[in-house]
Amino acid sequence: MKLTRRNFLAWAGLSAIGAVACDAFGDDLKTQSPVNQPEDLVKGRDNWYATLCRHCPSSEGVLVRVMEGRAKKVQGNPKYPINLGKQSARCDAGLQALYHPDRLAGPLLRINGTLQPVGWNIALDKLKEQLETRGEDLVLVTEPLSGPLGTIAGRFAQAFGGSHITFEALSNATYQAAVKNVFDQELLPDLDIGNANFLLSFGADFLSTWISPTRWSIGFGDLRDAEVGSGRGTFVQIDPRFSMTAANADKWLPIKPGMEGHLALSLAHVIVQEKLQADDVDLQALTGGQEAGFLADFSPESIGPKLGWPEAMLGGRSAAESIRELARDFASHRPSLAIGGDSAGAQKNGLFNLEAIYALNYLVGSVGATGGLRFNPKSPLPEWPQPPVVAALAQWQQVVSALNEGKTKLLLVHQADPVYGLPQAVGLEDAIKRTDVFTVSFSPFLDETSALADLILPDRIYLEDWGADTPNPGPGFQVVGIQQPVVNPLSSLDPRSFGDILLSTAQELREDARLPWNNLLEALEESSNALFALDRGSIDAGSEKEFWTKLLRQGGWWDEKTTGPAVKPTEGLYSQIAKGASEPAALGSSEFYLIPFAHNTLLDGRNTHLPWAQSAPDPITTVTWQTWVEVNARRASDMGWREGDVIRIEANGSFIQALLYPNPALPPDVVAVPMGQGRRNGPGYAVGGEERESSNILSILDAALVNETGALAWAGNRVRLAPTGESLRVSKFEGEYAAREIGNQIINNPGEEIIKTVAPGGH
Amino acid sequence: MVTNRIDHTWGMVVDLDRCTGCQACVVACQAENNLAINEKSAFLEKRALEWIRIERYWEGEYPNVKARFIPIMCQHCSNAPCEPVCPVFATYRNDGGLNVQVYNRCIGARYCINNCPYQVRFFNFWHPTWPASFENYLNPDVTVRTRGITEKCTFCVQRLRRGELEVERRAGGRLNDQNMAERNYMPACVQACPTNALTFGDHLDPDTKIRPYFDDVHAHDIHHEQERTTRSYLLLEELATAPNVIYLKKVEPYPIGENEHNG
Ligand code: SF4
Ligand code: SF4
Repeated sequence: MKLTRRNFLAWAGLSAIGAVACDAFGDDLKTQSPVNQPEDLVKGRDNWYATLCRHCPSSEGVLVRVMEGRAKKVQGNPKYPINLGKQSARCDAGLQALYHPDRLAGPLLRINGTLQPVGWNIALDKLKEQLETRGEDLVLVTEPLSGPLGTIAGRFAQAFGGSHITFEALSNATYQAAVKNVFDQELLPDLDIGNANFLLSFGADFLSTWISPTRWSIGFGDLRDAEVGSGRGTFVQIDPRFSMTAANADKWLPIKPGMEGHLALSLAHVIVQEKLQADDVDLQALTGGQEAGFLADFSPESIGPKLGWPEAMLGGRSAAESIRELARDFASHRPSLAIGGDSAGAQKNGLFNLEAIYALNYLVGSVGATGGLRFNPKSPLPEWPQPPVVAALAQWQQVVSALNEGKTKLLLVHQADPVYGLPQAVGLEDAIKRTDVFTVSFSPFLDETSALADLILPDRIYLEDWGADTPNPGPGFQVVGIQQPVVNPLSSLDPRSFGDILLSTAQELREDARLPWNNLLEALEESSNALFALDRGSIDAGSEKEFWTKLLRQGGWWDEKTTGPAVKPTEGLYSQIAKGASEPAALGSSEFYLIPFAHNTLLDGRNTHLPWAQSAPDPITTVTWQTWVEVNARRASDMGWREGDVIRIEANGSFIQALLYPNPALPPDVVAVPMGQGRRNGPGYAVGGEERESSNILSILDAALVNETGALAWAGNRVRLAPTGESLRVSKFEGEYAAREIGNQIINNPGEEIIKTVAPGGH
Repeated sequence: MVTNRIDHTWGMVVDLDRCTGCQACVVACQAENNLAINEKSAFLEKRALEWIRIERYWEGEYPNVKARFIPIMCQHCSNAPCEPVCPVFATYRNDGGLNVQVYNRCIGARYCINNCPYQVRFFNFWHPTWPASFENYLNPDVTVRTRGITEKCTFCVQRLRRGELEVERRAGGRLNDQNMAERNYMPACVQACPTNALTFGDHLDPDTKIRPYFDDVHAHDIHHEQERTTRSYLLLEELATAPNVIYLKKVEPYPIGENEHNG
């Protein structure tokens, strides 16, 4: 079925989800003047449609409120098992992508060096011509895709003799490899944070941006709930950076970046030495029968002094004794859960760190248990690629060589901005600029990559298009999320669905049997029929058609009765892990550890064009619209640096500038810089900042790889800072309410706190 | 004239032990209530409009340091300092316990803003503007405030009204925690909050989740605060504004200064 406006509306009426008001005109209101009851005035009819949000790496189920053909609000779908009716600030901002004033209206072709509007016929002919003449060894780059679009993209690339790779600036390839090595699982596990009694997290900014933050936040709320699980759980964050997640921990312990794995092995050493492990743990397998001298090299006495724990934090005890106490707390407050990610996995020894961290879960019996890790069953649709493995940096280096050698002559890019997200040292920008490389972008907006493209075929925004997803990680059972168009593009715009373009082009050129669908919708309907044939799960339907309608109404299909596999440790797991141990190099004098981090709302930069994402204050610093560099407040003041000073951050021979934010919590040898700004090409709101206050930290990173996984070791850089002598005002929210913002004290009532605290169990 | 009105007294409970400072509520409120876009200049001028905001407080410094978050919105006081000072009665307490702002009465005197101890009232110094295409997403249930008008959190009165119309007048039921959550009549911030730090309800309803906290605060006023049986407290309670927002104290197992627990 071709999706015309007319049959879209007919279909839209059919699939309006049932749970919502459809006929809002009360009879008693129709005839009354609003003057009599202005606060009772309710007008118009709204429909809510279920679909998927695409503003985070984790896809979340959302409901979109639509009135008169316009989307009005995006919020969590209460039925969708991943986010259970909740959403992040990023989901709401989807409306601003949909209605962004600078969406590309139609195709653009580079003619005489500049991108110029052309009609779809010309544009698609150009695409076909390029595929015919230089399609061999093409590279198709997309975001990680786990639905039918992933299948289509993969087969399309193959049909032309090329390859499909996925891109994300902060790839989770290392996390995925750790899960594979420690648990022998391809799929990421669900984290039962809500039922845990002790949560130990290494580096993962899981309440803000890591993996599936809305889901983890729901779990965090339950962790804090005295009525859920075994009462209010304790949460300790080990993190070189004082992140938003660290701020929400009961206790935050800084750590020298790269020492996370050593600490985790030291904790394991104490647990086994003091026999604190859970009863049914197979120590024989874990230790390879070497219980006596288990991890002797990682005793608290040898590891403690290397962690960089300041004396003032230890309260008169040794670091070794503090490790022992942490191990006892962790092992005795079961269910306990150990997780790690972000900077802990983005060091050269990141794989070792994550393996050592996740293996702790075996010792406390949290593998496949309540309050621990829950593993996921395979997708019910074997045709779909799962899990989408994000290309490691090493693969990108190969792509760049293939471009430079003239082997790959055609680059197709969808929903990814690798020119922005890869370190400049990789050299992708120069490779794309080569005259013998033709680049096609499917981006609905200009970005750093599409600005270099020879042809832009603007895609529909996700709220206008079909799609589907099997979330990774799932919630411990099978889930298929469905994305449906909830509105049509505005009449001033003429975008076309990326999936439909791939399918129609493949059919015209290759008539490929592996791509039998006329459009994305057909592929989806086929999957829907396959789910119907399973005859189980959340949808009860008598026919394929009824199943499809219900699928759209619910926003997906899931089967809570399915479970993931039982997971057992491989023999001698710990000695395997310990072999990978390596310590980070010492910090040079006047160097700082650089910990870049994904911005709470802008993430890796993909949301910079959304003003709600730009203006949502960073939780810790409250800065908006700008790039800042966090430096320990005392160290900054010792050096005479003040808030707003323009600081030059130099790494690996290149530099960026950012505004100083003195952070009282950051370790003195660490600086933290958010990702996201520094776009030079793009729509309004994304661009416009001066270089001094809007820069891209990713661009100066060393192209160093995580051992074995080849992912970018983005948290392993060392930098030097130098003030430029200039200063700008920091556009921050802090201070707008200065009357009361003095040290959490009420101004006229000293000693009375704004935020009151109480000991556990008290009131 | 309003027909068949069921009495409600709306209130909110904010659990500071759950709030992570994630900003989901802040953006959800801006989307629901047609707030003007806070451009960079708004922050530089200290005039950003956020009906609900997250204040962040530092305590201590490295390495013994905490950052704490508190969401603050209109407290919908039963004894609201903003109300008596309005020369034109643009703000008053309605029969649902809401502190309402009648935009077309407001003359921009800003006395209310001055008199609000919580600093949750905002003045439109400029006419709000959006790129024309953004106007497509504006919520038709919510008035866009013009220059010269004061605005603030309404407890999402438009959602409550839809609920009253649908559930109470048309179906003859009563709004409660469950049907409000299921049918999307909860305030936008409450709906969004991923940690469920925000709970909303009608404290005339004996079954609402917020009721025990309001009972506790009503039974033990500021002079008997020590006897409270929950973590409840009111913001600036000594001012006796009688807010309809209750805060639950943050649970702190490792207070700064007691670092024998650290490590
Ligand atoms: S109740 Fe509504 S108006 Fe008030 S802060 Fe929440 S979302 Fe905003
Ligand atoms: S959405 Fe909830 S957790 Fe997030 S800042 Fe608001 S109140 Fe806090």
